[in-house]
Amino acid sequence: MTDATTRFFDDLDQQGYQPLLAKVSGALRFDLHEGPQTMHWLVRIDRGNIQVSREDMEADTVIGTSPALFDDLVTGHENGLTALLRGDMTVTGDARLVVQMERIFAGPPDARGPQRYRKGMQ
Amino acid sequence: MPPSHTVRILDGNNFVVCEATGDIEATPTEPTGLFSIDTRFLSKWVLTVNGERLNSLSYDDLQYYESRFFLVPGLATHYVDAKLSIIRERAVGKSFREHITILNHDEKAVDLDIRMDAGCDFADLFEVKDEILNKKGEIYSEVEPDRLRLGYRRGNFRRETIISSSEPARFDRNGFAYSIHLEPNEQWDTAIDVQTMALSPSGRDLRLGLRVHGAERLNLQQDLEEWIAKAPKVNSEHEELAATYRKCIVDLAALRFAPLSLGGQNIPAAGLPWFMTMFGRDSILTCLQTLPFTPELSATTLRILGALQGTRFDDFREEDPGRILHEMRYGESAAFEEQPHSPYYGSVDATPLFVVLLDEYEQWSGDVALVKELEQECRRAFRWIDDYADLVGNGYIWYERRNTESGLENQCWKDSWDSISYRDGTLPPFPRATCEVQGYAYDAKMRGARLAREFWDDPAYADQLEREAAALKERFNRDWWVEDGGYYALALDRDGRQCDVLSSNIGHLLWSGIVDDDRAEQIADHLVGPRLFTGWGVRTLAEGEVRYNPIGYHNGTVWPFDSSFCAWGLRRYGFSEEAAVIASGILDAAWYFDGRLPEAFGGYPREQTKFPVEYPTACSPQAWSTGAPLLLLRTMLGLEPHEGHLAVAPRLPIGMGRIEVLDIPGRWGRVDAFARGRLDLNSVGG
Repeated sequence: MTDATTRFFDDLDQQGYQPLLAKVSGALRFDLHEGPQTMHWLVRIDRGNIQVSREDMEADTVIGTSPALFDDLVTGHENGLTALLRGDMTVTGDARLVVQMERIFAGPPDARGPQRYRKGMQ
Repeated sequence: MPPSHTVRILDGNNFVVCEATGDIEATPTEPTGLFSIDTRFLSKWVLTVNGERLNSLSYDDLQYYESRFFLVPGLATHYVDAKLSIIRERAVGKSFREHITILNHDEKAVDLDIRMDAGCDFADLFEVKDEILNKKGEIYSEVEPDRLRLGYRRGNFRRETIISSSEPARFDRNGFAYSIHLEPNEQWDTAIDVQTMALSPSGRDLRLGLRVHGAERLNLQQDLEEWIAKAPKVNSEHEELAATYRKCIVDLAALRFAPLSLGGQNIPAAGLPWFMTMFGRDSILTCLQTLPFTPELSATTLRILGALQGTRFDDFREEDPGRILHEMRYGESAAFEEQPHSPYYGSVDATPLFVVLLDEYEQWSGDVALVKELEQECRRAFRWIDDYADLVGNGYIWYERRNTESGLENQCWKDSWDSISYRDGTLPPFPRATCEVQGYAYDAKMRGARLAREFWDDPAYADQLEREAAALKERFNRDWWVEDGGYYALALDRDGRQCDVLSSNIGHLLWSGIVDDDRAEQIADHLVGPRLFTGWGVRTLAEGEVRYNPIGYHNGTVWPFDSSFCAWGLRRYGFSEEAAVIASGILDAAWYFDGRLPEAFGGYPREQTKFPVEYPTACSPQAWSTGAPLLLLRTMLGLEPHEGHLAVAPRLPIGMGRIEVLDIPGRWGRVDAFARGRLDLNSVGG
């Protein structure tokens, strides 16, 4: 069920550097709550250099969601800001970190993107 | 003063729109209320004394965030029983506070029942002009001994209004009441506090958990005084001009908006009341207008828009990598994706204008660090311009919405559905390309080349951008020139056919520098000629076009912001007298609106109406209308940063008299500019 989440963090850790986060430094902790259980992911960013661990440690920003919603967020089926406004995702601490982090989540998988006009095709 | 009986006060995106009595009774035609984060938190707020509504003797807007109402019981008749006065003083800040004072002027003691009816429909800002019939969530009202809680719940989405009173009140589900006894000449006071809450499932406000960076505006009065003190001073023989300037500086203070998720940094919101949020285009153009006066707005605007630059494809939000956002909203319709504003990216001009602002800001401020900080954002913006925006593959920026439900059809500043047409009045198919956006792209590349050469240490990229800009200018002058009119077409359709109407957009082309020198004079003549110029400003669409209508939103009204960029463009090409004609028209109009220009006013000829006719639903204050007098001042005084200094080359009409602008901030520290009206404008225009 959290395959997508695990894959996302594993990829992030292996990348080691994410240019979209080049101006970002700080630690984010993702608390994925399911019943009595909470899974933790800790992402430390130092000017784009990224380390991921499963530690439950203090962080500048703490994000709380269900594991299912987080799967949807990282795969682009859900959007971070709307989840926050709906109350389905909670954020405490430095909001700028989550705004930056959210930008590296995938876009909607069915997005077509800009379409070139070709004469006679429309 | 424009005819209006609604009173508005605000702080950021917390604001109140109410009747002249201070009451709120929201209807679709009178969308009053207390609003915060794009949600209505009070739709009913009606004060009665012994069951009677109150009558307004007067009200004052003390500051943009506070107002005071003087009231007496009973409705307006020829006789007003003034044995009792009621004063309501209110302010918005983090919460909405109202102080009620009741004075007994009678020689007898009185017993009074004071009641406030309170209620809320929790409408999304996008619903307030419609009948609200089927909210998807549940509205509730909970009475506690010392407070009334009005709420709305839809899944985990919860918004609450919490009302409490300094004097003990009897709360019920529909409001609260006091029974008081007043001796002769006695007064009674109560302070009411209204909190607006956006609650997460844990019961915390989702804004409270967010750490705020930078100084919070705790003391609004002190903050406003500091803001005014920091801005340059304008003295003028014409007191009207100095008064307009001061009004603009205060309105800019009111329009500052700190986005929810970006830590207390301020950028200009687009306008009160319905546009108190971040708009890419409006925020950037306002920053360009106000750079000589309030440069700090530009740095934060660039940082925030850069931080939210698109990174992926999203058809609902019309996001692409490198695209600068159009509009951000926090209401229920954004939260549940009934509207795409989370954020919405459907604009094609914000992206090139982002680079234009960065370059202009550096020329004024010398803030090289920010130019280096935003290098990648600029490069991504250029990739968007070249790849994703060129929907026809011929080197122009085009648009065609991908969100066909709630996206914008016209993604340029004239964004109403019928703003782009051929001369016969018909509307072109999509994709469309409008002319001013090609000018912005040209300017962005020329300016980007300077940044690459001087600050990014990439002369090859600078050369490339300059080559692309030159090719664009050549192409543009070939494809868009309307031979039989002597101007540039408003737009091209996808097959290259011109939307060959005469429009104000040609003024933006002068500002961008894309106009061939030998054609500039024809453009200048049109801008101050009888088809476009009303005597007050430049019509969005020329008189004589099929769709021309003096009160057509983008088809004939005058937009002060639009005229201010036309004036700047004229000055750029050396038409300083024509620029001064437009500047004095708009500044004259400003005085009819008490120094506060509306978004738009009617395109009637000046000699016909004698005063500028306000567009029916225009927003006011509107950020880029507020910026217009500032840009016009800059234009008339010829303020230009030049090799690290501020050059001043005034070209003022005779009637303007003497103007001095003191303490203009920039890389030179602070310098003063002086000017005297010497231009005789009678020889220009017509």
